Amino acid sequence: MLPDELLTILNDQYPCRELQLRQLAALYAPSLPSPSAVVAHGLEATGKSSIIKSFLKSSNIPHAIIDSRECITGRHLLERTASCVDAYQNFGDGEANTPLYSRTENISALAVHLQRLLEGAGRFVLVFDGIDRQREAPPTLLPALARFGEIISNLSIIFIVQVPSPRLLHSPGVPHIFFAPYTRDQAIKILSTDPPSIFLEPPSPSAEYTDDLAAEDNAWLWTRFLGVVWDSLAKGAARDIVSFRSVATKLWRPFVQPIVDGTFGTRDFSRLMVHRRTLFQSEVALLDGIIPKDPVSTATARSTAKAITHDLPYYSKYLLCAAYLASYNPARQDPIYFMKATDKRRRKRERLLAIFRAIVPHAVPQSADIYTQIATLASLRLLLRSGVGGGDALDASCKWRVNFGWDFVTGLGRSVGFEVAEFLAGGGE
Amino acid sequence: MEHQKCYVFNRQGGRPAKKRRLNNSNLPSSWPLRETTYNELWAAQEKRINDVLSEVNKATTGEITAFVSAAATESRTSACRIPTGLVVAGPSIASHRTLFEHLGRDIVTQTRSAFVLLTSAECPNLKTLLKDLIKNATARSTEDDEDDEVAGNASQKGPKLLNYDLQLLYLWFRIQNLDQVVVAFQDSEAFDGSLLGEAIELFKFWSDRVPFVLLFGIATTVETLENKLPRSAKRCIEGQKFDVTQADKVLERVFHAAIDGDDVPLRLGPSLSTQLLDRQKDHVQSVDAFIEGLKYAYMSHFYANPLSLLLRQDIRYEQLSSDDIEAVRNLDSFRQLAERLLDDGEAALVRYLLESDIVLFKNVKEQLEEGQLRISNMVKAIETLYALRRCSPKMPIIPRSSLYVRAVSGELNGSPAVRELLLSVKKASSDILVQILDALLASTPEDALSIMLSLRERLVALMESNEDSSTPLRSEHDLRNETFRTTIVAQKVELSKQKSALSKKDAAYSKLVDECHSRLEAYFAEMFINPQELFLHEIFLYDLKSPHKDAFTPRPRYAVERALSAPQDYLGCDCCHSAAGSDGTESTLSSTQPSTAILYQLYLESGSLINVSDLWSAFQAIMVDDDDEQSLTMALFQRALAELRCLGLIKSSRKKTDHVAKLAWKGL
Repeated sequence: MLPDELLTILNDQYPCRELQLRQLAALYAPSLPSPSAVVAHGLEATGKSSIIKSFLKSSNIPHAIIDSRECITGRHLLERTASCVDAYQNFGDGEANTPLYSRTENISALAVHLQRLLEGAGRFVLVFDGIDRQREAPPTLLPALARFGEIISNLSIIFIVQVPSPRLLHSPGVPHIFFAPYTRDQAIKILSTDPPSIFLEPPSPSAEYTDDLAAEDNAWLWTRFLGVVWDSLAKGAARDIVSFRSVATKLWRPFVQPIVDGTFGTRDFSRLMVHRRTLFQSEVALLDGIIPKDPVSTATARSTAKAITHDLPYYSKYLLCAAYLASYNPARQDPIYFMKATDKRRRKRERLLAIFRAIVPHAVPQSADIYTQIATLASLRLLLRSGVGGGDALDASCKWRVNFGWDFVTGLGRSVGFEVAEFLAGGGE
Repeated sequence: MEHQKCYVFNRQGGRPAKKRRLNNSNLPSSWPLRETTYNELWAAQEKRINDVLSEVNKATTGEITAFVSAAATESRTSACRIPTGLVVAGPSIASHRTLFEHLGRDIVTQTRSAFVLLTSAECPNLKTLLKDLIKNATARSTEDDEDDEVAGNASQKGPKLLNYDLQLLYLWFRIQNLDQVVVAFQDSEAFDGSLLGEAIELFKFWSDRVPFVLLFGIATTVETLENKLPRSAKRCIEGQKFDVTQADKVLERVFHAAIDGDDVPLRLGPSLSTQLLDRQKDHVQSVDAFIEGLKYAYMSHFYANPLSLLLRQDIRYEQLSSDDIEAVRNLDSFRQLAERLLDDGEAALVRYLLESDIVLFKNVKEQLEEGQLRISNMVKAIETLYALRRCSPKMPIIPRSSLYVRAVSGELNGSPAVRELLLSVKKASSDILVQILDALLASTPEDALSIMLSLRERLVALMESNEDSSTPLRSEHDLRNETFRTTIVAQKVELSKQKSALSKKDAAYSKLVDECHSRLEAYFAEMFINPQELFLHEIFLYDLKSPHKDAFTPRPRYAVERALSAPQDYLGCDCCHSAAGSDGTESTLSSTQPSTAILYQLYLESGSLINVSDLWSAFQAIMVDDDDEQSLTMALFQRALAELRCLGLIKSSRKKTDHVAKLAWKGL
């Protein structure tokens, strides 16, 4: 296929990326030798990976893509690279021939393996996607990979990174392709290619509302809606295309609900806007939760969620209150607040226990159950061991830290009839 | 003490004799039979409890399994979020393991999924997490069918994959022909937030090849998990919350299973049940701990009480020794019975019981059955009371367990709980009375059924004759049938109550209500006996607190502190005892006490930083009368100091030279 036709197709597929595609086409023109290393950089969700992938695929350049996010260690990346190249080279051979190598322990081994694998083959492009985020990468990984092209003449490597530092590869003259973040108009243009429908099911068969008309209405409303979402919410908090799309899709159904109900017509955009303005004023749509929340009615959802609560045991609550007080009260004020405890104690478990005994209204048996509860609370991460206490949880000198806030502890205290604020230096807020 | 943190104690020779109480020669002959009895009876009890537990668990596991199988059917695209179940299981983390094991079994059998359970202890970092995940998932298949595993190995060509490479899981998954892989994080709170985030994102990348379903066990709240996860990870998952039945509700049902039923041979007494229930409320919310407590009650009863043998249904006279029969005569309740009989003038019977073993045995057998029947009737009456209290909307719900505790201590008859109910029956309007009668019908024994049925029929007939069906019938005790009349006599206002004239139907209804009320009153008065007054209650009620206290709530710190501050109580020697002061004053230090104890008592008197030199001079002043033994005293001092350090009471301090830091205060 001719490069021009290819570019037109790709431009249709990925709007607003003409420049980057032209650069790629120039760098990897079939007639010219390609550079040994290329850096493609740009922020999250700017189309780096997918554009490079489809470009290489549609221009029939032999390539392998290694996603760093799937590689757990640097070693894993090397192994994966070797096996990917191997799989590509041997693809279609039918009989699985014995591999030319067994293990890729370090970067030099990879160089040798690649040399052997690519011997006599044509041009080969290796894409390292997100290599700057590689876990446990050896410090020499990037510069070494950049020099592979010097050893293996037919290898060309593309590094996809988010932000390139000037000395990323320790070698000058590497071409960079910048994937700029999409502007407002570009983002809206991209998202408006695929408008969702207003009506989940056609309103009624009698109304002469054809599919064409519906599609036209959808596109008209969606584009305007996108503009509003961008200006109100996404501009500040969801600038990349993925989060922009997710915010827009989250708000879309509640936004068009009056149209579905028949309150407004499909083109009553300004009245609809006024009617549904609360959607764009609240920021619920921007919050990511595990349990999907309805952006309109959060109040009702919260009341049902509280129906079943699991209660902590009685003494555990007091222990947490004591821990909170031990953390936030200065130790020298202990005699003022806990007159029963006369000894001076440091911020340790001993002090926690002393305060615990001081605030519980009756005598507590000195049983091992109290320690069990401290251990349970620690494994719930409500109490954290901190400092140099070391591995021994039984050590009395071990320091502890609370891992919850004021609201939580007041709630706890009230459920056992204990007002934390009365004992807190400064009276709590 | 310096180089090693703990020592292995190798005992030489045999065990000390006092520990070997299990040695059969010292035991009464009935012991093997008691053991079998225990095994049989406990097995039946355990089965009842397990039935309740599995029924309770089934509700939640069923819901989650349905969620998992629904996730299997929906199509997955790469943009889709990973389906995630948030299992809010409450703060009793000990029971989470069982819950997830049940869940895993259900998911594997009911859906075509692999189930992998991960705990925070096994997964300190991402690499280990993945290793564990792959190992656990693929290990399962080798048990199931080994053919697939061989094929799995054969299809792998090329170099060996790293053992944390999810490619392994993918290859295995393709061969297994499964729908999805369920990964459960048992204790999500204890996992590191960033580790969870990385794992979730990684699962997301692979989810186009391996469809994952995630489950999180949550002990606190969903918000805690949401706050902990990084935003990018939260964007990868989408889920649903599942609430596990609360621990106290499960406990209530298990407790009920432990006391209710005609075939429950042994029941808990008031003080022990109070202790067990309070421990659940105050310290550990764990149903398992309660079941262990119950089991221990059975064990100690059959171990320590020879008369427990009588709980066997098929016990014969020959199986009892004369000692056992004699033991019956020594029971408190036997004495009470004897006194009662003497008061009634049945001296001959008392004489028989005292003299003839076989007569006593027969009597005991009868009385035991009678006593058990009365207890089980009492439990049924509790059930009735509970059901009736739920009928009237205004009454606070008292859990069955606390009703039982009151009943078994003999306090329920005439207690507020009963009086309140009876009063509300008196005032009940006809629509509520119907509910009450229905609840009664459900729990009435056969013999009283006809009376109840006739009462209900009469009520229904009355209600049908009431044309104005919108207002229910009211009795004369209802407040709405009373009016207040004010009269002014000699410039004083007098308030007098007056019953307004009752309609004919209401009068008839009032009669019915009165009958119902008196019947109920009589029923409760008959049922809520004081079990402690029953003959042989020592056999079918177990109410010893101290074995449980020792076994379940040890007090290590208290024991150490007490032993060190009052060694004479433990040593029992004359020299130290005299030093303790015969006039009952506080114990004084004396050189005859163990050196560690002396040092500990000096330690208690000092501040948080202790000057070792001062400590030494104080120690020396107590220990030494003449200067010859100074080196010996020094040795004792050093050993005592090392022992205190070993107990974790002191440690060296860098704040001041020649000082040690105090780490533990007495009484905490």
